Amino acid sequence: MGIDWDRIEREFYQCNKCGLCLAACPVGKELLLEKYTPRGKIQLARFSRNGNLEISERLRDIFTECLLCGACTVTCPSGVSLTDLFVAMREVLTSTTGLPPNMKPAVEAIGESHNISNEDNSERDEWAEDLEELYNEVSGKDQAEVVYFVGCVASFFPMVQYIPQNVIKILDAAEVDFAVLGGKEWCCGFPLIGAGAPGDLTVVKEHNLDMVRSLGAKSVVFSCPSCYRTWREHYGPEFSLFHITEFIADLLEHGRLKLGGVEETVATYHDPCDLGRHGGVYDAPRKILQAIPGIVLKEMENNRARSTCCGGGGNLEMTDPALSRRITKKKIEETQATGADTLVTACQQCVRTIKGAVRREKINLNVFDITETVARALQV
Amino acid sequence: MLDEESKANLRNIVGPEWFLDSPEDIATYSYDAFLPEFVPDGVVVPDSAQEISQIMTLANEKKINIVPRGAGTNISGTAVARRGGVIMAFHRMNKILEIDVDNMCAVVQPGVVNADLQREVAKHGLMYPPDPASMFVSTIGGNVALNAGGPRGAKYGVTRDYLLGLEVVLPTGEIIRTGGKTLKNVTGYDLTRLFCGSEGTLGIITEIIVRLIPQPPAKATLQAVFSDLDDAAKTVSAIVASGIVPTTLELIDRVILDIIRDYGGAGFASEAEALLLIEVDGETSAVEEQGRRIERFCKERGAIEVERAKDPQEAEKLWHARRTAFGAVASVRPNCIVEDATVPVKHLPAMIRKIVELAEKYQLKIGVLAHAGDGNLHPLIMTDIRDRAEMERVDKALDEMYEVALSMGGTLSGEHGIGIAKDRFITKELSPKAIEVMRGIKRVFDPNNILNPGSFL
Repeated sequence: MGIDWDRIEREFYQCNKCGLCLAACPVGKELLLEKYTPRGKIQLARFSRNGNLEISERLRDIFTECLLCGACTVTCPSGVSLTDLFVAMREVLTSTTGLPPNMKPAVEAIGESHNISNEDNSERDEWAEDLEELYNEVSGKDQAEVVYFVGCVASFFPMVQYIPQNVIKILDAAEVDFAVLGGKEWCCGFPLIGAGAPGDLTVVKEHNLDMVRSLGAKSVVFSCPSCYRTWREHYGPEFSLFHITEFIADLLEHGRLKLGGVEETVATYHDPCDLGRHGGVYDAPRKILQAIPGIVLKEMENNRARSTCCGGGGNLEMTDPALSRRITKKKIEETQATGADTLVTACQQCVRTIKGAVRREKINLNVFDITETVARALQV
Repeated sequence: MLDEESKANLRNIVGPEWFLDSPEDIATYSYDAFLPEFVPDGVVVPDSAQEISQIMTLANEKKINIVPRGAGTNISGTAVARRGGVIMAFHRMNKILEIDVDNMCAVVQPGVVNADLQREVAKHGLMYPPDPASMFVSTIGGNVALNAGGPRGAKYGVTRDYLLGLEVVLPTGEIIRTGGKTLKNVTGYDLTRLFCGSEGTLGIITEIIVRLIPQPPAKATLQAVFSDLDDAAKTVSAIVASGIVPTTLELIDRVILDIIRDYGGAGFASEAEALLLIEVDGETSAVEEQGRRIERFCKERGAIEVERAKDPQEAEKLWHARRTAFGAVASVRPNCIVEDATVPVKHLPAMIRKIVELAEKYQLKIGVLAHAGDGNLHPLIMTDIRDRAEMERVDKALDEMYEVALSMGGTLSGEHGIGIAKDRFITKELSPKAIEVMRGIKRVFDPNNILNPGSFL
């Protein structure tokens, strides 16, 4: 993987402890103690690199109380790449003290079954049960220009299986020459990074790249921002990579997709961390929503690069589900403050996290992935 | 300094999970936003004045140093255990206890974040004016201990001007109340204001009654760029002389403007030597008129560019340069020392020129941000604390800078505090007798010198 410790250690000294990162950190605001804040974690990293702090399980566990959302990094006035540091520390800590116990199942599942749920990977097409005809067509091709990479969560979690269902309907309506890999799609490896085990990525990466090559495809499109980000950051430049929102915005611009209206909805858009801050994609989803008559878009107070994490990032759900839920609750409050009755986002993990909380707390808020909004507006 | 028995006693008082002495905890409570670090013996997180009272009683008995700490954003080294001891954190005492709209005041615990208080009172159409740059992180307790200011200071004043009363645990453990909810109170000595700015050396603040004012209905935001620092200074004078009291009057010098541009921030004309960010607030018609007059002052005094925001979004954009200034500057060299010398307003341009001279004389890179409305300068020294030779030059430059500021009738610190950052210069401003009186006061409150010892006195 190659951690650039020279750069990271230089950046330690750029931190002037101003504390502005504390105002942006959802975990810091809940746990309050300095060691759980971004500023505190820089200190811990620096002490451990200088040999003044033992690399221990306790230190490893402190670094797992973090969403890796990147809000601290964009807030830092001194330009410290905090998230890079936290990812690097997870790698050091895991290689010395072993995997964080609650992340072990997912990591082992990826190794054994090639997906995070430890399911039989050939069941990966479970989501397509009701779309047999179209699915058989796109999963049975020898060749295609575009591969739609579904991702583990949307494949296996019923709450969000509508996302790939919508995606293939949309791509089909736009007459895109695309294929899906079905059971040959393996986990992209994203959870491995959060677990501090990036070395394990090589196996899944080589496999997935081979699968796309074997179809002669030039582009890969993702509905999962984390898969998108993992490919962009770790899979090399071989293929053109798009998030589905970029792809759809492009189709709309070139008149290859026509959208009608939907019933009037006051909606707000949540920028997923891996799509927005880490992926730089802010405009495409907004262009899509603005192209659909009936959608009234109200922005949250913290949007785009300042968007607050839904609580589902950094493998935190695995390590500290109670904390993750507290953060989701705050996100829902922020959402409700806009006056919108609908939250639209572009990430199956955000949908799962927020919708799960809404159901549990019986809150009156509709939560959709943007592909659902587009599918409803599709003029057949 | 901290034996096992004392640790056990502290755990008894606050609960075992609220006395922290793991290596990770003490490492992360060893700093504030000043540069030197001191690893404490432990950290205690109480949740009431009663617990704090018990802690101080124990501390006096066992001679344990206690250092109160808010969010640790002070830049004077006020909240570090420079002589060892226990850091006292207020994470659990972070509630707004009451917003009393009828009496226009609020009662808060010390751990409440300034910006959170501002946001909550705004819901009632009220304003808590002190707006230090750290406000999204800093706590009211810390703000009171340092008498925090902010850009709004020239018009609205500082923390001291919005304090009605306190509850304080004395270093010897007794709990006292000072002031109350009334605006006027001359019963006895003004202990409220004595504690304000005392940098956590006279007592531990456990409750604060703050004054609130009605939120002004309108605001105008302007930005003016000048090719000559004197033109900017003349504009400042003109505004002040006209009777307009802006709520914000920030000056950014050429060194910083160039850095902002290179950082990828806004680009200003290459002749730009100074930028003024000006805001006025109040009744709509007054704000309209003042905005127009300020624009005229700027243009008449040679501004090469004047922009006025048409709406809050544009106002945000104009604030952008001011907000990114610190970050841009902080990224130039590994460290950035933020200074705080303050001079009477009319000496502002002379003081800035002096700083430019000093930078050249001692081969340092220094930019100047100023709250021009009240003469509060923030020279930003871009340096590397690991370079001993350079740090020696920095010390010499600061020495001269303070001499000049004092000779102009100014002060060492407008708002950041003395702490350990400037304690060696304190004799330049305070006479031996004044210092003796202050030490006497400290002894009255803290006979065993266990509360934040080694800070400023």
